[in-house]
Amino acid sequence: MDPMETPSNDRADERAVRQEWRHSMDRTADLKAAGDPTDPTVPAVAAEPPAPTTAADVPAAPAAAPEAPAAATSSSGHPAHVADPRDLVLAIRGLRVSFSGNEILHGVDIDAPRGGVVALVGPSGCGKTTLLRSVNRLTELAPTASITGEVQLDGSNIYDRGTDLNLLRRRVGMVFQQPNPFPMTIFDNVAFAMREQAKTRPSRSSLMPAVQDVLQRAGLWDEVKDNLDRNALSLSGGQQQRLCIARTLAANPEVILMDEPCSALDPRSTARIEELIVQLAGSLTIVIVTHNLAQAKRIGDYAAYLLNGDVIEQGLAQQVFEDPTEQSTRDFVSGMFG
Amino acid sequence: MPTRLSDRGGVAAAYAAGGVLVIAVTVIMAWLVWQGISTISWDFLTTGPAPGSLEQGVAGGILPALVGTLIVIVFGMLVAIPLGLGVAIFLTEYRQPNWLAKGTDTAIDLIFGVPSVVFALFGLAIFSQGWLSWLSNPVGDAGMATAQSFFCASLMMALIGLPPVVRSSQAAILGVPNQQREASYSLGKGRLTTIRRIVVPGARPGIATGIVLGIGRIAGDTAIVWILLGGAVLQSPPDGWYLPWNLVDFLRSEGSTLTTYIYFSSPAGEGNSPGPAYGAAFVLMVVILFVNIALIRLSRRKIGKR
Ligand SMILES: Nc1ncnc2c1ncn2[C@@H]1O[C@H](COP(=O)(O)OP(=O)(O)OP(=O)(O)O)[C@@H](O)[C@H]1O
Ligand SMILES: [Mg+2]
Repeated sequence: MDPMETPSNDRADERAVRQEWRHSMDRTADLKAAGDPTDPTVPAVAAEPPAPTTAADVPAAPAAAPEAPAAATSSSGHPAHVADPRDLVLAIRGLRVSFSGNEILHGVDIDAPRGGVVALVGPSGCGKTTLLRSVNRLTELAPTASITGEVQLDGSNIYDRGTDLNLLRRRVGMVFQQPNPFPMTIFDNVAFAMREQAKTRPSRSSLMPAVQDVLQRAGLWDEVKDNLDRNALSLSGGQQQRLCIARTLAANPEVILMDEPCSALDPRSTARIEELIVQLAGSLTIVIVTHNLAQAKRIGDYAAYLLNGDVIEQGLAQQVFEDPTEQSTRDFVSGMFG
Repeated sequence: MPTRLSDRGGVAAAYAAGGVLVIAVTVIMAWLVWQGISTISWDFLTTGPAPGSLEQGVAGGILPALVGTLIVIVFGMLVAIPLGLGVAIFLTEYRQPNWLAKGTDTAIDLIFGVPSVVFALFGLAIFSQGWLSWLSNPVGDAGMATAQSFFCASLMMALIGLPPVVRSSQAAILGVPNQQREASYSLGKGRLTTIRRIVVPGARPGIATGIVLGIGRIAGDTAIVWILLGGAVLQSPPDGWYLPWNLVDFLRSEGSTLTTYIYFSSPAGEGNSPGPAYGAAFVLMVVILFVNIALIRLSRRKIGKR
């Protein structure tokens, strides 16, 4: 840290950082007031009684997706995380992705209602990762990639010319399959997204409240609070993944994309992450790819089934997993559940 | 445990190769220490060559040569490190436009392969131009320059120090996992921030190795010293050269380094003073070893407190 920094400077930074943070903390508070599940060991979707709703509350089927009528026919209630299922934070429309002319996604439509957990499932190689990476525009880092269609974030297409890529990626964070903390201290990992955002380089003490808040939200604070200057790589795999979630939260995103975040973790760590996802839902929207159908069922509010680059079926998770309309979804679901 | 005959043969060959290397290095080091250590004294390190240095036993000390070596290392690397790192980043993270990347690649290979005496000769042609006389000293009214100074030598040294910095850094940067870059991008960091805060720190040990190799090349070079520094062993530095306000004048003056001192005082040169030659060789070795260990240590700095 810059030794020349004056105390008054510190305070100004602190105010700025706090201000930025108030927003996210408020959302957490709202969530708690709204009756966040208090027993984290009980899978949330099962624990929450379906809110009484009318058929109008069911998420509208994507206009451009006649091949996915499931959502419209579902009649169960909407998930507690979601205030208004028609309020789509993310609407993917006709997304086509190909690598060197080989089309991987053939016009995908996906809806993500604000505050919900959307689980993407499908066999290996069907394009789940590609889909996810196209939502924060990582796909185009591959020089062979070509992308058409729209991804609307709060109603505006992220593929429009003039999109601020860095801002987009702050709004749509990503957690990867392998926990990949930076080879830095725990503190620096979390502070990474906050630093260089401010005009002056914020001091450690001014960042501390925000770092603590984020680590608490990621359920890691109690385990690391005594040694924030430890090398992040010395944490366990599960802790590393929660640190990666904290690091992502630090950018204050509206949506977090998670690509099989538990596939490298043991069952205990997996349970912790699932718990965390359920707690975070509501204050932000989570799109999660998982190979584990039981997991998708436990934490997903909504689900989409992908097969060979097409969305076969999507809608409320319960309905997709328990009463799918399409035969191929039925086969996939029953195959996995035995 | 190896059981098959070919396995045992391979293992034996590997052991033999390693053993020969260790023995060779040990013998060389021991010889240098044995021959050199008796010459080393406080006077040897802190005085200049004596007037009668051409005769055995009265060669005097190595101070100007030692300082000369350090100066060409510092000033050469001052150019080579930022330039080399920049080239390495360009070659790994950007590579656009492609023709420039390919051209740069070839240029680095070329600089690596061509002996330094060729560059020294080229430098002589360039630096003797009158308009570059501020790098050395003007020669009479002829509109020429001497082309022999620490500035001239250091600039050419930068060129020969460059390739190892580039190649080591390049390999190290390629070794930084893509996941780290993507994680940084996903936190809303641009390419430049990602390079500065993730890629370069992650490549630090490899970059340090490149710097060590570059320093080794510079410290070991004689051709450039000979042609662009003057290799003037007998010349003692100007009075008060160590005063900061004399720095520019000093850097414009001729000088010598340990390598030219060693050559001069060795039986092969004019000095016929093997004692001081071994002493200087020993000091050169210690300098390199010290820089080596210090840099590698620094680059492997532990993250956080234990
Ligand atoms: N950068 C790329 N270049 C070329 N082909 C790619 C690239 N990325 C993905 N693909 C191809 O796209 C297809 C879908 O890959 P993707 O990783 O999206 O599948 P997935 O559903 O995530 O699979 P998994 O469940 O195994 O993770 C694969 O056939 C893969 O080979
Ligand atoms: Mg995948």
